[in-house]
Amino acid sequence: MSTSCNLSGSLSWKVAGVLVPGLLLLSALPASADKIQRHFKVDARPVVTVHNPNGTITVRAWTKSEVMLIATRATDQVEVDAEQSGNRVDINTRQVSDSASPESTRADYEISVPEDAELQIHDDSGGVNVSNVLGDMNVETIAADVDMADVAGYLTVKTVGGSFQCARCAGRLEVSSITGNFRLIDLRSTYVRAQTSEGNILFTGQFLPNSTYRLKNYNGVIEVRFSPEDSFDLSATSLKGKVHNEAKLVPPSHHHFLPRFGNGLFGSFNSGRAMVELSSFDGTINILKRN
Amino acid sequence: MSVANCSAFLEQLDQWMEGERSPAAVAHLRSCKACGNLIADLDSIRDTAPSLAATDPEPSERVWSALRAQLQDEGLIHAAHPGVSDILKRWLRGTFLVLPRPVLAGAYLAALIAVGFVLSGSNGLRNDSNLWMSRMQRSTQPLSASLETEEGAISSMADTNPVVTASLRKSLAAIDNDIALCEKSVREEPQNEFVRDYLYEAYQQKADLIAQVTEGDEGQ
Repeated sequence: MSTSCNLSGSLSWKVAGVLVPGLLLLSALPASADKIQRHFKVDARPVVTVHNPNGTITVRAWTKSEVMLIATRATDQVEVDAEQSGNRVDINTRQVSDSASPESTRADYEISVPEDAELQIHDDSGGVNVSNVLGDMNVETIAADVDMADVAGYLTVKTVGGSFQCARCAGRLEVSSITGNFRLIDLRSTYVRAQTSEGNILFTGQFLPNSTYRLKNYNGVIEVRFSPEDSFDLSATSLKGKVHNEAKLVPPSHHHFLPRFGNGLFGSFNSGRAMVELSSFDGTINILKRN
Repeated sequence: MSVANCSAFLEQLDQWMEGERSPAAVAHLRSCKACGNLIADLDSIRDTAPSLAATDPEPSERVWSALRAQLQDEGLIHAAHPGVSDILKRWLRGTFLVLPRPVLAGAYLAALIAVGFVLSGSNGLRNDSNLWMSRMQRSTQPLSASLETEEGAISSMADTNPVVTASLRKSLAAIDNDIALCEKSVREEPQNEFVRDYLYEAYQQKADLIAQVTEGDEGQ
């Protein structure tokens, strides 16, 4: 089923059953409409995709079994298409005119989702903010910064120049960028792989047992802050840069596997229950005590 | 069959990708980072393929020529030797049938890079700087040429969003800077496998970025 409607009106869909078949197309915006609110009833673990080339995307978890979209568009040079197909909600910004300026094609989204929602977000410029969502998520941006807090699941984030911050994140995290900086604050993740070419990486969080933390860059600073209770095996190598360390490490027993090049630091802190690998081409690596 | 080195492993690449994995091949893969990276890249291409729509599937003959020439230069292809490039070509062609062109650009370059990395670490020439340099140049020159061709995509990109364009150009410049630094280091320390690793990874990033740009540009 496919339906088009005027976005300035208010229309709610309530369909009984586990899945909500149907398609809600939101298009043909009137020129005066700059704020849109839509609701989509969903079941457990819905999938929400957002494609917004220019603007901010803010996603928050709430307790309702529905997805709510509040879209603010700069002008009528852009339209917002939102459609539901089963337990999936797709939100897409569509540019009406090829000659429109970037300012006029901006659309900002505030989206409320169930906490177990899976998110797929694409945002070229603007910004992405996600909080309290526990489902898996994939975020891709070019220049847009990505800011997450209190999220979990399998998180994959890829930016070109945008920075990434994750506060109190759990689950599995894979983040890559070329010139973006990363701030991984109070993490509780069991797997972290973070790589940026020209950016800095800050990690403060728990090194959980049987977990892996791989941080890598070409230039810039990689800074890891540990607490006395942490337990990890450390490998820190900067081929052309420096490694500063405040952790008292027990040297590894097998030296012949260690790299022969660059400035390297290897050893165990406490009983070495987590694996921490820090590598840089000519950046600086700091392993510092957490205050 | 014993898999004592990378060449022997590459001979079994076809079977490996079909799921036939001898204990010797498994053991080799555990201990060889280069082959591990190659398999990871090929797995990544295969895993990505089903979710993508088919458009223009056939990689150019230039790609196969570059692969074949590189493999022949390295002495891995002989008349009586199973053609590793043919194995790769057959397998990748099947994968490329469902890949759109921009993804394909990044994918074949990734495969090329992966092959180059394998080749650079397979012949036990660890103590000969000149040979390492020669091998490195042979591995990177085709990549560099391919990427320069593709790089025009960024120059010709429609400037619809200055913020995005600026970010892409800044990032491309950063990668080029990384490549230049790595190449300088390779010249200084040809035997340093870590520097070579960084260099190939920088090329990989450049290929990915260019693929991303062309994909975005075609999508507009």
